[in-house]
Amino acid sequence: MITASATKVITGNHAVSYGVLLSRVQVISAYPITPQTQVVELLSEFVASGKMAARFITVESEHSAMAACIGAASVGARTFTATSSQGLALMHEMLHWASGARLPIVMANINRALAPPWSIWTDQTDSLAQRDTGWMQIYVETSQEALDSIILGFKVSERVLLPTMVVLDAFLLSHTAEPVEIYDQGRVDEFLPPFSAPYRLKPGVPQALGGLADPGVYFEFRVKLQEAMEKAREAILEEGKRFAKLFGRFYGLVQEEFMEDAEMVIVTAGAMAGTARAAVRELRNEGRKVGLVRIRVFRPFPFVELRQILGGRKKVAVLDRNLSLGHHGIFYEEVKSALYPMAARPLVVGYVLGLGGRDVRPEDIQAIVDDLEMREEAPEIVWWGVKR
Amino acid sequence: MGSDSMQDLPDAPLSWGDTRWNKTGNWRHMRPEVRERAAPCAKACPLGNPIPKVMTAVSRGDLEEAARLLLERNPFPAITGRVCPHPCEVGCNRRRYDEPLAIRSIERLVGDWIQEHRTVYFPSETGKRVAIVGSGPAGLAAASYLRRQGHRVVVYDRNDRVGGMLVDAIPSYRLPRSVVEREARALEQMGVVFQLGVTIGRDVSVEQLLSSYDAVLVATGAHGERRMGIPGEEHFLGGLEFLRAVRRGERKPPGRRVAVVGGGNVAIDVARTLVRLGASPVILYRRTRKEMPAIEEEVERAEADGVEFQFLTLPTSAVKLDGYLRLVVVRMQLGERDRTGRPRPVPIPGSEFELECDAAIRAIGEVAETEFLPREVLDDQGWVVADKFTGATKRAGLFVAGDLVTGPATVVEAIAAGLRAGRAIDRFVRGEALPVQEKPLPTVPLKEINLDYFPRASRVSIPELPLAARCKTFDEEILGLDLNSARGEAARCFSCGSCNLCANCWIFCPDAAIHLDGDLPWVNLEYCKGCGVCATECPRGVITMKEELAREGAVA
Repeated sequence: MITASATKVITGNHAVSYGVLLSRVQVISAYPITPQTQVVELLSEFVASGKMAARFITVESEHSAMAACIGAASVGARTFTATSSQGLALMHEMLHWASGARLPIVMANINRALAPPWSIWTDQTDSLAQRDTGWMQIYVETSQEALDSIILGFKVSERVLLPTMVVLDAFLLSHTAEPVEIYDQGRVDEFLPPFSAPYRLKPGVPQALGGLADPGVYFEFRVKLQEAMEKAREAILEEGKRFAKLFGRFYGLVQEEFMEDAEMVIVTAGAMAGTARAAVRELRNEGRKVGLVRIRVFRPFPFVELRQILGGRKKVAVLDRNLSLGHHGIFYEEVKSALYPMAARPLVVGYVLGLGGRDVRPEDIQAIVDDLEMREEAPEIVWWGVKR
Repeated sequence: MGSDSMQDLPDAPLSWGDTRWNKTGNWRHMRPEVRERAAPCAKACPLGNPIPKVMTAVSRGDLEEAARLLLERNPFPAITGRVCPHPCEVGCNRRRYDEPLAIRSIERLVGDWIQEHRTVYFPSETGKRVAIVGSGPAGLAAASYLRRQGHRVVVYDRNDRVGGMLVDAIPSYRLPRSVVEREARALEQMGVVFQLGVTIGRDVSVEQLLSSYDAVLVATGAHGERRMGIPGEEHFLGGLEFLRAVRRGERKPPGRRVAVVGGGNVAIDVARTLVRLGASPVILYRRTRKEMPAIEEEVERAEADGVEFQFLTLPTSAVKLDGYLRLVVVRMQLGERDRTGRPRPVPIPGSEFELECDAAIRAIGEVAETEFLPREVLDDQGWVVADKFTGATKRAGLFVAGDLVTGPATVVEAIAAGLRAGRAIDRFVRGEALPVQEKPLPTVPLKEINLDYFPRASRVSIPELPLAARCKTFDEEILGLDLNSARGEAARCFSCGSCNLCANCWIFCPDAAIHLDGDLPWVNLEYCKGCGVCATECPRGVITMKEELAREGAVA
């Protein structure tokens, strides 16, 4: 047991593992896939060495991994899995099951581009393609935030009875090491006590979970799910504040920087926010009124926050390392739809860039700001960095 | 269904009541059957030792339970744990997967534990009296069983010590005398009386025993040494005679180079004993190594000891010259199969050669001595005629068991025969019908073991004296396992056909239809849909699927 907090230089993947260790997860079921494997590798070592009192269930596929998590969570166990890309796609059916049955499972998804052609590099399309499955989605920027978001994920999930997906960029975050504070178990226990499931299966009293619901009740269960998502907004903020009090770090739904008098705003998510921050800082030094907004929580979507933050700005560039084929960048469409009810909307331009792990450099962000400044209207997609 | 308000619904789609009203069992067309079957090891064991259950107990470190289970079938595990040719390990399903379990070594550990922790058992007396002639493994096993049933048991032996072949023929490097002595002492403490130095047929007759006891068991073994019938045979020592002398302290070999004729256990014991006395034995056997009736493991050990083998050879005469023997030996070839199914050795004309040695020992087989038995229980050739299962003879109250009936066999077979006779005698003295042989349980073959649950793992290495050291001493050559190694080894057991309540079926049953509240899991057929997951996931073949009886109107 970790009795004193300590700072270690670890990768994003291992930060997730430590978050799971500190959350006293009871059941882990997973199937290996690059770039996620290190997460469960370290967890399996924790379990094998007795450092973690958990059952590690090895399975033959991600579909089974999620099914095993669902089984464990159905009897009230705190449950975790991790995956990437094709593995997440294979879980799709079970993702609906987990949320529909109101099971507070937490998983880490390491963003990796979908095949074919094969790629192991970062791209947000895998997780964003699961946006309608009823999972909360948290896009983290740093290894510390990855660790913290696992603990926070369980806290919020268990409060609103919805599963949480914590999303990290492949390699840029999953495999790069940075200093991470690993908290003492006592403080984490104080924040995240053992889970007492309000609904759970008990073998002695057999009940059906997720049985047939006729048209007379199915609808209402869906509305309840949506209401839970809405409650989650508040829960994320409240638990975020409680977490900040104990651990000194606050995480909300969105993170805004350099926004005071910003006329142009970069909106992005995940590790790319770090690159954007460097670029924006540079532009600010040059005296340009540029701000940065990082969308941390994608589900539930922070409509209110974005309207407040972006309302009254001149121009917004949304950077998407993802693509909804036949439409456009997914954050772009969501940001636009959030702003639509406003009477005075900024010009919102969607940039699709960095697919399949293509590098995005601070110079790219600065060039995008220049590009945005010149635009008077928004095309459907601005492709950035395509070799024509 | 239907609800007037969302507020009436739970957040999670969990059924209001329990689902036991929904008896899904009628979806089933196959039903799981929970039935223990015999493991191939137990089936191969003449005693039918419940090996998988013993292994489960040992793997949990529960030697007391292992002892209780073993003693139900085998009164002397410390003895069989040393000298048994372990047909169980030959039968072991693991042999066909990686390596067989070291069952004998684990039995020995449990046997030694029993010898150290035994408590004296005092049965309630029946007042019946049984005489047992012969204190070898068959007689001792019967004595143990009958005394436990409360009968007064007197064991006669012409020898001055208890154990028969166990102490008189089997060399001490295989079975130390102390092990047998401890068993004899335990029997005495339980109330078995030993009358040693009494020869039945000379000092007391079988008839006298029959008139003064409620039943008599004759288990005198096979001590007559078969003769070769060749000129110069008088120059050969008898194999048993030689072994007996060594067990009584003789340490001078009959010569440096010694020819040993025969291929059975006595021949091997003689040769290996000679090595330990500093002699160089050469075994002459008329068939090939494959046909040797000796225990395979002992043949291997003899080879390692440096015993020389000359297969397909047979002495045809011997002459004593100045301080040495000259044997004329003919080479043999294998011909047609004989009644025993072994190829008959046929001399090759003109292939004779001479072999010089300091001494020669003959060990070509032992025969039972039966002259002291009533004529009515013998056939024309003088063989004992008895029921193969119970050992009952034509003469009421007279039973026989062991090598006397079967000819030379193994210790474990003698113990098994003694126990069968003991059970029959118990019934007889109570005036009940004799037991009949039960139909053996079907066994579980390797293909019914779910190997996904069993990673390959090599057999424990059994400690023993180094080769060079063992050839210079009569100390026990194979050493015992420590408890930790034994536990690890026992944990390799598939537990074929024997439920150890691993609970896999319970875990996997999607209908929660399996219950674990008894000795065996049971299936609530009102809910079992017959999916077969339990049978697939049972690692040990205890659960099998069986088609439901054809329902009315169903197409067969």
